[in-house]
Amino acid sequence: MILLELLLMLLVAYGVGFLYYGLYRNITARFQRRFGPPLWQSFFDSIKFFLKEESTSHGWMFYLGPIIMMSGAITTLFFIPFFKETTNFSGLSSYGNLFVVLYLLVLGPLGNALGVGTGGNPFGAMGVTRGLSRLFALELPFYIAVIAIMSLSGSADISEIAAHQSTMYALAYPLLFIGALFSFIGMMGQSPFDVVGAPVEVYSGPASEFSGKFLALLMSQSAIYTFAKLVLMVNLFLGGAQGFLELLLKTFVLFLFVISFGSLYGRFKTPQSIDFLLKVPTTIAVIGLILATWS
Amino acid sequence: MMINLSNYALGHIVLALEMSHLANFFAVLILLSMGTLLFLVKNYALPKSFYALSALLSTSLFLIVYAADYLLFFIGWEVMSITTYFLLSFSVSQKTLHKYIIFAMSSALALFIAILMIYSTQQSFLYSDARESFELMGEFQGVFFLVLILFAIFVKLGVIGFHYWLVDAYEEAHDIFTAFLSAVLSKMGVYALIILVVKVTQPMLALAIIGVMTSIIATFKAIQEDSVKRVLAYSSIAQLGYIVTVLGVADGMSGALYHSLIHTAVKLLLFINIAGVIYMTGRDKFSQLGGLIYKMPQSFVLLLIGIIVLAGMPPLGGFSSKFLIYSALLDTKYLLLLSGVMFSSASAFLYIYKLIYGVYLGHPSHKKLESAKEVSLSFLLPQYLLAFILITLGTFPALIVPYINEILLESSLTTLSFTHAGELISAFAQFNGLIVMSAFGTIFVLVVIFFVSTRSKAKEAKNRFDIAYCGEEPDESTHLHYGYSMGKELARVGILRAIIKNSSSHFYEYLGKQTLSFAELFRKIYSGKLSVNFNIAILFLLLLLWGSLR
Repeated sequence: MILLELLLMLLVAYGVGFLYYGLYRNITARFQRRFGPPLWQSFFDSIKFFLKEESTSHGWMFYLGPIIMMSGAITTLFFIPFFKETTNFSGLSSYGNLFVVLYLLVLGPLGNALGVGTGGNPFGAMGVTRGLSRLFALELPFYIAVIAIMSLSGSADISEIAAHQSTMYALAYPLLFIGALFSFIGMMGQSPFDVVGAPVEVYSGPASEFSGKFLALLMSQSAIYTFAKLVLMVNLFLGGAQGFLELLLKTFVLFLFVISFGSLYGRFKTPQSIDFLLKVPTTIAVIGLILATWS
Repeated sequence: MMINLSNYALGHIVLALEMSHLANFFAVLILLSMGTLLFLVKNYALPKSFYALSALLSTSLFLIVYAADYLLFFIGWEVMSITTYFLLSFSVSQKTLHKYIIFAMSSALALFIAILMIYSTQQSFLYSDARESFELMGEFQGVFFLVLILFAIFVKLGVIGFHYWLVDAYEEAHDIFTAFLSAVLSKMGVYALIILVVKVTQPMLALAIIGVMTSIIATFKAIQEDSVKRVLAYSSIAQLGYIVTVLGVADGMSGALYHSLIHTAVKLLLFINIAGVIYMTGRDKFSQLGGLIYKMPQSFVLLLIGIIVLAGMPPLGGFSSKFLIYSALLDTKYLLLLSGVMFSSASAFLYIYKLIYGVYLGHPSHKKLESAKEVSLSFLLPQYLLAFILITLGTFPALIVPYINEILLESSLTTLSFTHAGELISAFAQFNGLIVMSAFGTIFVLVVIFFVSTRSKAKEAKNRFDIAYCGEEPDESTHLHYGYSMGKELARVGILRAIIKNSSSHFYEYLGKQTLSFAELFRKIYSGKLSVNFNIAILFLLLLLWGSLR
């Protein structure tokens, strides 16, 4: 029974993740006054890449990079409950807690970084360096907000945090939410914090050396990760969801906001983004934390 | 069990040895380190005196751990400091040795004064009377006592500001001894902190703040270093910072003990691994290493396990102890401190990745590295043992909880709940390590099966230059070992520059200069000329005579 539920969770995340990716490409296209690709193009692309006959590999660790990333994405997904106040679609979340999820979120990317390093492509290593340099600054406001939330809810259990919100935390503690939202934009790989992959620049970033089925696996995990992160954010700040419709609505609103924000702003260089994240969102989150837990 | 040595009492001073659960815990850490490091010994031509001094050092460590009064503890502490000096002197430069001995001696002096202060209130050196003695002290005396004790312990732990001796000593010491320094000698600081501060006073917020500052600053210092052993030295400081933090809050003991065990095991693993790399290649800088993964695959996998633990990632043991630390801070509502600890923990990913990238990944920085071979079994065996311990503690995180509970009961602290070995339950939350491990493992295997069975086949690259390189073809002369210096750009960030560029060495160099010029003043009077000395002696005698006649 639990296995069937896990499989369904995976399929939902996979499908919705690719749907959102298609929407992202279409919506950003409209921002740039052009027509985007068909909605399911990325999905078809990933299937096509899986069927490519040849792709270059650099030994077993190079294989393991994308595989660890994929395993990390799926494991993360299983530890995040989809709905509050029910055990349906809660996956394995009762065996873990928010700390486990926060660490699982970075487990995959770090695993992939090993694959990138093995590939020996300096542009890949460049992307990893940028990513890791940016990572701690990105996580700090998010951690502060999440810690405040855990303390307010008196629990580190994600479904309990979701159920604990009579008014959603985003409205009750807006400063915490704003702080976390900046981090979230970066976690979703959107401008102004998208220097890691640096899309539409000279090619650089962790994916440089991966081709064929390696790239297909990376695209698929990205879809799953995207959905997992959105569900996590909905659970933590937007009061959770009680059914699929509510979940899709809330994740889509959040997603739409993130990509619109990303389309409007230019890209920070790595030191700039660290500087900004450590100054503005962190300060906002710290003030939010102090206001929220003063009594 | 307590052995009273009062038959050998000096007057009314009672000496005692005691076998408590806490003492046993730290004795296990010592034995674990000695047991694993003994494997390495046969690879090096060590002088006989090295063994003799090591034996003396171990004895002193057991004396520290099993002493039940401050006098025996101090004797053990002092013997430890001195033997460490001699063991360092085999390979360490004069300057570093001087730094070490000055710090070690001032630390011992402070400790001695503090112990005498405890003694003077109740005429007892016994641990069991210490709490009462501390409460009997006046307020000013109490603060003075704590300052002295904390200074002594901070020097041993290398808390930021007091770490001036530590990093150089770790870098220059013999590879085996560096591992021992990090794994065991630093834990003696933790033990001293528990018995001299935590058991004697109330939880101190100041201690927790110092711990957080230490872990953050040390992490950013580590990121900047090019020498592998220096990175690990700063990493030790940062990890001990977590322990200091959690000892500063109520109910933090469980996290501190758990993290001590994890840190001992992981630092042994990492230092043994790096010792193997240095043994095989003779290089110890990231910029001179690289690309060793397929030459030393077993070492690579073992280092990988080590860094996953060091990063505190589930499903390995590092997460279990981090989880207890975070829970303790969350439970006591030190939310900003918890943010600081998690921040430092996230920053650590950078040097942790550099650790594995700079040594094993990327391209070899020199042709010589291409002829490197896997290290011998004497390096690998202890690492396998330690990796086994760390994986077990990740899968069954509560395996040692019953034992930790015994220690907590002994100190009359609240114990952790315990259901089964797979589930770690803290005051705030719980997680099931067995499920996390098996979920990740199963998914990993399934993904591997799926990935390998897809129709498309991956083709091995022709050679290591066969990479996507902007349409150009790199060759030997192209600098491809990019990334060993990752983190250097952080110095361009305004806020972080202050941490990275400032150093306590300026302060200590200033202090040294002032001391020298003060000494110059004495030199003017006591100039070394025989006639002047003779005159001073006569004057001194006359003074004495005059004083006694009065």
